Amino acid sequence: MSIFESLTLAFKNIVSSKTRTLLTMLGIIIGVAAVIVIVGLGNGLEGYITESFSSMGTNTLTASVSARGSTRTLSVDDMYDIVEENSGYLDLCSPTVNMMGSVKIGSETSRTSVTGVSEDYFSIKNYTLSKGRGIQYSDIALRAKTCVVGAYVDMAYYGGSAVGETLRVGGQSLTIVGVIEQQSEELEEGGSDDCLFLPYSTAARLSGGVSSYTVTVRDESLIAEGKAALENALEDFFGSDSFYTVTSMSEMLETMTGMISILVAVLAGIAAISLVVGGIGIMNIMLVSVTERTREIGIRKSLGAKERYIMEQFVIEAAATSALGGVIGILLGYALSAVASKVVAGLMETALTVAPTVGAVGTAFGISVGIGILFGYLPAKKAAVLNPIDALHYD
Amino acid sequence: MSALIEFQNVCKYYEMGDTTVVAADHISFQIQRGEFVAIVGSSGSGKSTCMNIIGCLDVPSEGTYLLDGRDVGGMNKNELAEIRNELLGFIFQQYNLLPKLNLLENVEVPLMYAGISRSERRERAEAALGMVGLEEKLKHKPSQLSGGQQQRVSIARALAGEPAVILADEPTGALDSRTGREVLSLLQQLHAAGNTVVLITHDNTIAVQAQRIIRLEDGRVVYDGPSDAPDAVVTPRVAGTGGGAA
Repeated sequence: MSIFESLTLAFKNIVSSKTRTLLTMLGIIIGVAAVIVIVGLGNGLEGYITESFSSMGTNTLTASVSARGSTRTLSVDDMYDIVEENSGYLDLCSPTVNMMGSVKIGSETSRTSVTGVSEDYFSIKNYTLSKGRGIQYSDIALRAKTCVVGAYVDMAYYGGSAVGETLRVGGQSLTIVGVIEQQSEELEEGGSDDCLFLPYSTAARLSGGVSSYTVTVRDESLIAEGKAALENALEDFFGSDSFYTVTSMSEMLETMTGMISILVAVLAGIAAISLVVGGIGIMNIMLVSVTERTREIGIRKSLGAKERYIMEQFVIEAAATSALGGVIGILLGYALSAVASKVVAGLMETALTVAPTVGAVGTAFGISVGIGILFGYLPAKKAAVLNPIDALHYD
Repeated sequence: MSALIEFQNVCKYYEMGDTTVVAADHISFQIQRGEFVAIVGSSGSGKSTCMNIIGCLDVPSEGTYLLDGRDVGGMNKNELAEIRNELLGFIFQQYNLLPKLNLLENVEVPLMYAGISRSERRERAEAALGMVGLEEKLKHKPSQLSGGQQQRVSIARALAGEPAVILADEPTGALDSRTGREVLSLLQQLHAAGNTVVLITHDNTIAVQAQRIIRLEDGRVVYDGPSDAPDAVVTPRVAGTGGGAA
């Protein structure tokens, strides 16, 4: 008797009790689908974060200085000197002053992000101007009351003719001198085009000082060396390492993706519990089935079925049931992933594709077959060792 | 040539709690190829134990059982399964067909365990079903047939494997007298065609259809001779010791 014959027999039995088989498979279906969706979601999230970080520039370092308690204060010029001294690694530098508070445009209030920057900031970020001019050194030196706005502000509040208009930030009236070319695919509130840049000197006066710098390294591969050089210089300056922190975008990206991986692994692990529960369900049903089919087993044995054949029949039936559940779970997982992509896109106003990986699908299928064999073994063993005389007289 | 079935002082004991039940008590007989033998006895006479041992479903506790010259007593479960498949064809009182399979598939089951190829299996199953007059109903399920027809399927299944012994356990027990007679005449035809048939029954009127009767009482042989002898069916009761098991 070949494996093929055992398989045919198993599928005949599965087909002959559809409702029961479906209910038996439910645990496996849910488990496999959940694992696939969670891993796909994690994948999509990782892709999304990697993309957003790389658009921010993976060759940039951010230095935050908190001079509180220090005997020395780091001026903007001190920072420029440090960058100059380490020009082997470091390239451009811009103070960044993040300002809280709202922007008043006419009678409207917007939640546009406001940042004080230097003339180099636009090169650091690879921003190009679609209209007017950028922030210039003279603006910074003169603490000019000028600003550059993102494409969203231009379109949403001025209908595309923002240059020359004025708005108010923190009570200070600023003249718009330029508009940055559209960054993201869609203009939306709170998006990367809903922004405003002003000279850091102007911003520092409004908000109280410069505490953060964006510095680029000459090459992405020099990010670690550049970071070390900047840290050393700042430590020399303060005589301690407790007044500053230097972070690199690529480092943050690594930390974030690492955290997501752990999160996904934990969630997938929890979902996998359902697979075990499903396996126990299969075992339970197979045990019932062995009892129900005691007479059949007796007949087969009296006709010359060896223990191995009976065993094979039940293990293959369990494995086929859970494998079928695995396949349905995979299909359901793909369907749910597609739905999740749409839902997430709707909620987050960004495109995030939930992409199931081939590895996750393969693993889920393999595990479900394995579970069938594992949990089918005990009932199969029970069937195989039945005494044919007792089994024949079982009602 | 040695006997096909040979019992040498076969004993069978069952443990029932603290007491030991003697189901077969030094039973000895021989059955030659081509014989039609009825093993007859009332409930508890040990005929079922005899049938289980002859059918290689059970092994003797003591004594020797030789089937086709092979000692069955020392065989393990797999060897017993193999010898059942190879040498024995069972006909049961309750037909014991598999309800989910059609007639062809039912008859093919023992051939499948014998490792016979799909096409040959099909051929032999069709031939066997033809022999019992069911060639029109190959794809029917057992539940669509009458009792007599179902029993004919089980005869076909027993025949398909071309066994050395056809072992019929109360084959007419679940049938009315007319279909019972049909089944019996079918067994007689099989015997006439050269098969060895062993019939297990409690019913004297059925037992006399065989050539030879072996009568059991309380696990012992009390008569072994031709079925047409005057004392074949009426045997003076011997005082028995100990109980018998079915």
